[in-house]
Amino acid sequence: MSEQNRDEQRTGDAGSPDPTDDEMLIQTDVSESVERTGASFDRDTVVSARDINVWYGDDQALQNISMDIPEKSVTAMVGPSGCGKSTFLRCINRMNDLIDSARVEGDLYLRGKNVYDDDVDPVALRRRVGMVFQKPNPFPKSIRENVTYGLKIQDKGGDYDEIVEESLKRAALWEEVKDQLDESGLELSGGQQQRLCIARAIAPDPEVLLMDEPASALDPVATSQIEDLIEELAQEYTVVIVTHNMQQAARISDQTAVFLTGGELVEFDDTQKIFENPESQRVEDYITGKFG
Amino acid sequence: MATTSDSGEIEGFGQVSRTVGTVFRYLLLAATMFGIVMLGVLLLYVANDAIRPLTADPGWYLVFLLALVVPSAAVGWTVRRRDSEAFNFGTLLVGMLVVSLMFSGGVALLVIDVVPPLVALAYAIGIAVPVGLSVLLTGQAHRISFTPRLAATTALFYLSLFGLPGPVGGALGVPQVVPSLVGAIQSIPVIPVDWMMIAAVVGGGSAAAVGAYAAGIGDRTTGLYAATAAFAATLVAGALGPAVGLGAVPAVVVTAVAFVPTGAYAWRGGFAEEGSPLGLVFAATVVGGALVGALAVDALGFAGPASWVDWGFLTSAHSGTAENAGLYPAIGGSILLMATVAALSFPLGVGAAVYLEEYAPDNALTRFVDVNISNLAGVPSVVYGLLGLGVFVTYLGQSAGTVLVGGATLALLILPIVIISSREAIRSVPSDMRQASYGMGATRWQTVKNVVLPEAFPGILTGTILALGRAIGETAPLIMIGAPNVVFNLPDTLGSKVSAMPLQVYAWSGLFASEDFYTKAVPAGVVVLLAVLLAMNSVAIVLRNKFERTG
Repeated sequence: MSEQNRDEQRTGDAGSPDPTDDEMLIQTDVSESVERTGASFDRDTVVSARDINVWYGDDQALQNISMDIPEKSVTAMVGPSGCGKSTFLRCINRMNDLIDSARVEGDLYLRGKNVYDDDVDPVALRRRVGMVFQKPNPFPKSIRENVTYGLKIQDKGGDYDEIVEESLKRAALWEEVKDQLDESGLELSGGQQQRLCIARAIAPDPEVLLMDEPASALDPVATSQIEDLIEELAQEYTVVIVTHNMQQAARISDQTAVFLTGGELVEFDDTQKIFENPESQRVEDYITGKFG
Repeated sequence: MATTSDSGEIEGFGQVSRTVGTVFRYLLLAATMFGIVMLGVLLLYVANDAIRPLTADPGWYLVFLLALVVPSAAVGWTVRRRDSEAFNFGTLLVGMLVVSLMFSGGVALLVIDVVPPLVALAYAIGIAVPVGLSVLLTGQAHRISFTPRLAATTALFYLSLFGLPGPVGGALGVPQVVPSLVGAIQSIPVIPVDWMMIAAVVGGGSAAAVGAYAAGIGDRTTGLYAATAAFAATLVAGALGPAVGLGAVPAVVVTAVAFVPTGAYAWRGGFAEEGSPLGLVFAATVVGGALVGALAVDALGFAGPASWVDWGFLTSAHSGTAENAGLYPAIGGSILLMATVAALSFPLGVGAAVYLEEYAPDNALTRFVDVNISNLAGVPSVVYGLLGLGVFVTYLGQSAGTVLVGGATLALLILPIVIISSREAIRSVPSDMRQASYGMGATRWQTVKNVVLPEAFPGILTGTILALGRAIGETAPLIMIGAPNVVFNLPDTLGSKVSAMPLQVYAWSGLFASEDFYTKAVPAGVVVLLAVLLAMNSVAIVLRNKFERTG
């Protein structure tokens, strides 16, 4: 991975692409690196945040977050509880819109399109950004219906049986459930439920997969299965994962962003560098367990 | 206080006084039992007056003790010790048989005396056909998008129920070109026999329900077999009914409403996966014992209790003498009122609940509505009666005391309760599931339709049934809207005058006040009213239990 700091000036809104072209997939100059995190990667940027601030009522949860998340890799966000890493994740697919008291300021580009533009429909956005939650939350429907839920609500056509099989295979669940596709998703074990949720999230083929501490409610065996799965998925999807488990971030991620209390992004770089030679003393203290 | 010896070892921990706590505990127990015991004593008193258990021959009791009580207790105890799950299933099965027999009485009343069989058949087909077609359309959901499907479904229903151009054309003065399906069926030259039409309507409905139930346990083929078997059983009952002296129509109704669903439940609990035949053995002992006992007392000539609640009481109208007075028109009136109330309050109440829980912004208006719905739930029923009188009768010019006016008034009365309980059910859907749905890119409507409502439905249904239980016992609103005290015929349209069970009981106790009515008709009426109420509540309880087990 290239480590050079390009230190370019931000060009501001002038550099943002034509806002009406939602389908535009061409890389634009929003991928320029950001001085304070000092990182840029040799892959194309998918998600690009610029000065994101989030308030819940009067409490500021995120302060001036700017970062570029490269495609087809695993980006981990670590930090102590309440540091805003989940909040940032929810900014990417605008799930914060569902919280009345939440207020988001700043720009967040997905493939060059600012998702906080007025013409962006958050529902349409979420159809392109899959999400897996902390607690496994399959619907009380059959396994098949869980996987096809996204396709159905999006009126997507296709051979559903094939998509179900394909998604469950990618989620490493097919062998375990192929004979009970019509049974309730709630009858599975916790780890299986979480993999079902992953299958459900990837069935409509999103561009980005957000994972909010996907393994924190699972036992070690299920956790390691989910971790293997995430590494697999990163070959096809851009995975952004929030975790409070340092070892997990070190094991599975390509890039790591360290958030610290107060909602600031302290350092964002290659995982190896973050864990071996962080630039910030606070990050080093946090990683080595001196606080947090 | 710990007492410590010189060496530092503890010899004892002493005692802490609990006198006050114990007194408090028994006071609480007394408070708990006070109301229940009072009501229990009253009910025993009323039941004694109505059923008069002391008038029976001792031999009658002896026969039932030997045939029913002793074997049931013995088998029940054994089964319960071996497999308490099977015992519960057996008890539930017997309860289901009793309740479903009561319901079959209600259904029989509807299809025999209220709706002519041909009309019922026409509407059943006229609704079933578009429903079937729209289910097929929904199956194509990934090819055809929502708006054309909605349009096609609406058109299908309109054509089937009204034809072309239908009431819209009628309003514009265009003559009817294409008759509706419902109209076409009613004008067929050859009319099938009554029981066949009823078998098609009631038996078809119950076969479809049983089929869906069996398909839920097994697979599609099982469901298809179960539905076919259920429908065949109904037809056979219709053909054999006259031979056993029951009449074809009652045989069809009882089979379709009581025996077929109970049979399906028995099949699942007894033979399907995780079932145990032990429960069936217990249920069979109870039912068999009751039958054997009934046959035996008949053969031996022992007289049962000379109960005022008898077949005559249930099937005849009011009369000048207490001995001949019956509750039939009032029972039918109550059933029709409940149907109207359910049809009005369910969509309104659930709609309001969904809006308040899922859509309403948190602002002053919402909070105002919130507080006032709770207040409305506490408004006395007589005030709702006045509202019904003022709005429906005086202002809208409906005639007083009809099924429609009574139903609408009672629907207003229970609307706040339906809203509150539905909101409770909707709120209990985990927010995780909503988040999951929104995270998949579902709109609010898709989330409500696919996730929230299916999950909250059993709770909503339970709340609505309990609210209906409140409505069925209301007297004051019916008096206020001018429902007649005595009706001699069943109401057969929404515009007919209606009486209801509590109103009839009130009339007997007040207007026809004589010793005879006090001691005979009133307690019998109360017992029937309570039995209907209990049946409705038991359905609600079963639904709630099922909900809790799966959820």
